[in-house]
Amino acid sequence: MSWCVRRSVKLGALLLLATQAACFVDSNGADTGTGSSSGGASGGDADTGVAAVCEDVDLGPRQLRLLTRREYDRTIRDLFALPPGAGCEGDACAGPPLACKQAFELPTGGETWDSVHVAGSFNGWAATAPGGGWPLTWDAGAGVWWAKRELGPGEHSYKFVADGQWLADASNPQTAPDGFGGQNSVVTVACGAAAVSPSVGEDLVAPLIASFPPESRPDGFGYDTHAAAALATAVHVDAWLEAATALADAVAQRPERLLPCAAGPACAEPFVVSFGRRAFRRPLTPDEVARYRAVVDGAPSFALGVRAVVEAMLVSPHFLYRSELGQPSAGGRWRLDGFELASALSYMFWGTMPDDALLAAAADGRLDAPASRRVEAQRLLADPRARETMEAFASQWLGVDHVTTLTKQEALFGAFDPELRLAMLSETQRFVSHVVFDGTGRYPELLTAAYTLAGDRLRAHYGLPASGSDDATLVAYPDDRRAGLLGHASVLATTAHSDQTSPIRRGLFVRRAILCQELPPPPPNAGGVPDVDPDATTRERFAQHTADPFCQSCHQYIDDVGFGFERFDPVGRWRESDGGLPIDDAGDMNDVDGLGTATSQPYHGVGELAAILSESDTAAACFATQAYRFAMGRLDETADRCGLDAIRADFVAGDLDIRELLVAIATSDVFALRDAAAEAP
Amino acid sequence: MKRVSRRRFLTGATTALLGLPLAMRLGRAPARAADPATAKRIVFFYFPDGIVGPSQAGQPTLWHPSGTEHQFALTPQLEALAPYKDRCVFLNGLSSGPTDSGSHPGGAKKLLTAADGGQGESLDQLLARTVGAASPHRLVYLGAMANHNGASGDKHLSYPQPGQTIAPEDNPVLAFERLFGAPAGTGGGGGPDGEALRRLSVLDLALGDIKSLQARLGATESAKLTLHYEALREVELRIQSQAAPPVAGTGCESPSLDAQGLGAGVLYEPERFPTALRLQTELMVQAMACGLTRVGVIQASHHTSELIMSRFAGTEMYDPGFDMRSHQASHYGSSHDEQSREFVAYRAQRRWFVAQFAYLLGQLAARPEGEGTMLDHTVCLLMSEVADGNTHLHDNLPLVVAGGAGGRISGGRLLDFGYRRHADLLVSLAQVMGQPVTSFGEGSSGPLPGRTTRCTPASSVRRSASRGRAPRAAATSTSCR
Repeated sequence: MSWCVRRSVKLGALLLLATQAACFVDSNGADTGTGSSSGGASGGDADTGVAAVCEDVDLGPRQLRLLTRREYDRTIRDLFALPPGAGCEGDACAGPPLACKQAFELPTGGETWDSVHVAGSFNGWAATAPGGGWPLTWDAGAGVWWAKRELGPGEHSYKFVADGQWLADASNPQTAPDGFGGQNSVVTVACGAAAVSPSVGEDLVAPLIASFPPESRPDGFGYDTHAAAALATAVHVDAWLEAATALADAVAQRPERLLPCAAGPACAEPFVVSFGRRAFRRPLTPDEVARYRAVVDGAPSFALGVRAVVEAMLVSPHFLYRSELGQPSAGGRWRLDGFELASALSYMFWGTMPDDALLAAAADGRLDAPASRRVEAQRLLADPRARETMEAFASQWLGVDHVTTLTKQEALFGAFDPELRLAMLSETQRFVSHVVFDGTGRYPELLTAAYTLAGDRLRAHYGLPASGSDDATLVAYPDDRRAGLLGHASVLATTAHSDQTSPIRRGLFVRRAILCQELPPPPPNAGGVPDVDPDATTRERFAQHTADPFCQSCHQYIDDVGFGFERFDPVGRWRESDGGLPIDDAGDMNDVDGLGTATSQPYHGVGELAAILSESDTAAACFATQAYRFAMGRLDETADRCGLDAIRADFVAGDLDIRELLVAIATSDVFALRDAAAEAP
Repeated sequence: MKRVSRRRFLTGATTALLGLPLAMRLGRAPARAADPATAKRIVFFYFPDGIVGPSQAGQPTLWHPSGTEHQFALTPQLEALAPYKDRCVFLNGLSSGPTDSGSHPGGAKKLLTAADGGQGESLDQLLARTVGAASPHRLVYLGAMANHNGASGDKHLSYPQPGQTIAPEDNPVLAFERLFGAPAGTGGGGGPDGEALRRLSVLDLALGDIKSLQARLGATESAKLTLHYEALREVELRIQSQAAPPVAGTGCESPSLDAQGLGAGVLYEPERFPTALRLQTELMVQAMACGLTRVGVIQASHHTSELIMSRFAGTEMYDPGFDMRSHQASHYGSSHDEQSREFVAYRAQRRWFVAQFAYLLGQLAARPEGEGTMLDHTVCLLMSEVADGNTHLHDNLPLVVAGGAGGRISGGRLLDFGYRRHADLLVSLAQVMGQPVTSFGEGSSGPLPGRTTRCTPASSVRRSASRGRAPRAAATSTSCR
């Protein structure tokens, strides 16, 4: 067993000092310490399918899960029926507006439709979902069909298509002739500044969330959902308080929207009961009703009382945390109650609070049964909100949510401006939700798809034919240069330096994100990244360290995987040469089922690598692990292994259906049960 | 009328508190009467990826001065501290211990916790909940690109709980608004008193909800809610004390920050880093001058930093055609080789970070306080997570203490401990801040011996400092008692 394999198995072992200094450290901050919780728990993964030996499923801890910024944003919008906003993901929360999202809303006016789409200049006037049209969702509470989509800056014309009938947007006074004697609705989008639109007013929520601290998480855990790391500080309290005040003030202008009865003292308790149930995502206790009712009663006016209750509930831990504390159950276990399960489901699939149907199912006790959770999970998956959450997961899984704040040498690689970076992120997000919800829904398609979803800015970057739009629309690749996620500029750029590619980072990306395999940190006296040299290719410069036997101990698992990406420059463009020198894109996806398993799978280029990975059970099992981490909010540890292993084994043995994987997580025992013993003392 | 109402809310909060476990109350002992022999405030100033230490080839450190306690010359690396040499204590021979030696994250985890793997509370947090408890902000944690690229976890330094860090604020504009801005939302409240009361009642309800939730929890989640509770109390106390207007002439009645176009959209452009760090430094000093906090942490980037320092225009590092990152430069090779691009860049980068620390000292020294300046009453610590950036060892860490600390520290000295755990430095700093701490983290054996502190009034420190050497009398910690 080589040094590297021993070390990867025993993270946390004593440090070995290398005697050579020729290896390179190039691991994107993963010059990581021994013993950090860097995903080592599932390193190796050679034991996929050992579920049979697990007779007793070990469970995770009872915990409180602080709403992430993403979840807070969507929860607030649902709680107050505010229009969707621009969203806030990863570094973009501290950066420019992520995108110009446009809300489309069509009131029924008493009509009953089976399906409504929006078709326009942004999607080729496609009237059906298979044709590329954008489906709207029915919101029974508001009595409207709605959708939220990104639009590029500029003017867009559109119409609604309700059961085949073309309708202009009656709420939008801006129109233009449609060429058929009627009128199209027109929306003008200004990105970077306030997004002006007819149906979206000033966005109240986004500016408030801009001052929320970023989510903390342990190194090696890429998701914003980590429960144990989310600690409330005074910075949080200040931000929550400010948001609560602003939102309560806004509500106070039209309190009747939140009232189940006519405004007045008699409505105090019904209001507290109905709003509290939605804000706390469960019925209030009698004591809570009394305390919040006293707030209304003690206010100078009923309206101010409503305002005070809203403000107080938004700062309450019952709103800010979702509970996974459970109730005592058989065998010393704790079982999440119906309302905890409702939140667990809605935040996993939608990133927001449960809707009325889910709360009703919770109240009826229906969510305890896995079969009922399956029905609900499938219903949630059919809603557009599931796309948003899938997109958040995808960008965090791949680490590409940081592409929006990357820097490149523009003198070498052309403009790398915010619009291009945003287009890269949008491509990956849109592609993944397309595969999951519009495509086969199978994991291998993520890696092997011979198409992507790109707007004109990215199409030009890739050398693809223009569509006449900046919307990320489907485009087939004309050749096999790119395939699936590994050919996305977001991935290629985040795994490269500002001035050169990095076979090491790209190789590590495959090991960590795609295969869930961890390598030990480099020895301290490893060399730095080799300088750019006009007389040597990147491969030649990085290859020096594989000549050193000690360095090779680890780099055999890294560089040979990463060299196959060499056809793509640091901003993800195809390149014919590396600084004028010919490119060798031969790689070896060795030891795919675990370091030290001594297998070899030579390949050329990203397409062949993707094909190898798409057939790897280890890669598929890793994807299930990643989805599990995102959903459960903790790194899989021994406590999870039995439950997780069963989920992974079913996924691998089944049809690799991603939606079915998510449903399997939601219906598993580990989803619903907790173990007090799993809590740290 | 209003005052009566406010008292009612105060009483309510106190009642809520009494029902909580004892551990929850420990942090908020009422502030003691000001002890003249303690530092008023402390600033931790972090830079990433170590220093030019001894090379593998055996060349000596370029960072640490050599000489005797009072007779030594600054190394070129520390040159920017020359104007403040007599306000600084240069510490050689302190180690964060053998665990994880050779690792950036391993070093970062120990830096303020002195605990292996970050499995302890960090000193800034301890001080925040003790000496800082009566301040409007118990802790101000500011960063410059410290959250870039999703940096989190062990890339941050402040541990309110063992193993869990919190994130610094990277945006000077947001930090300024939080520290100095008026509370948003004035609808219907009828003036600041009404607004304050409104917020206090909201907090009171939240405190009550925490209490009810706490009863259902196991130890881990209970500790999490205790932190939440303390955060609510901090904000509550701040609002209660907001009635006092700032003292005229302190600059606190009209605080300002020239953000120089540093909006959120450009915050993570490497070209903006020097501006961001400078603004955060100015903001920290301003907040402390106005009595908003006594405990501050400034974090420049994070370990294994991707910061492209060759984009800093107007510095010796500037090289627009060639991107040189902090961590990349730190692996400069086995020797201090003038021909190595990495080595030359690394040396310049470290010098630049020292100059930023000197800027902090200059800001403190420029503000009068009492008979001297703020620097006389403040203690600052310059620190990085590893020593030499190539070997990443955790011995002989780069640590410089600066400031008069209210007379507790006399500067202009070089102390060489041979080998001693830096936990003892953290103990000494806690004591300088008036905390009766005799041990901190792991491996500590008490405060640093003898000579770090002395007990003369600030004015005499200044006099002796102006003569270029400090008297050695009374230079033992026992005589400080």
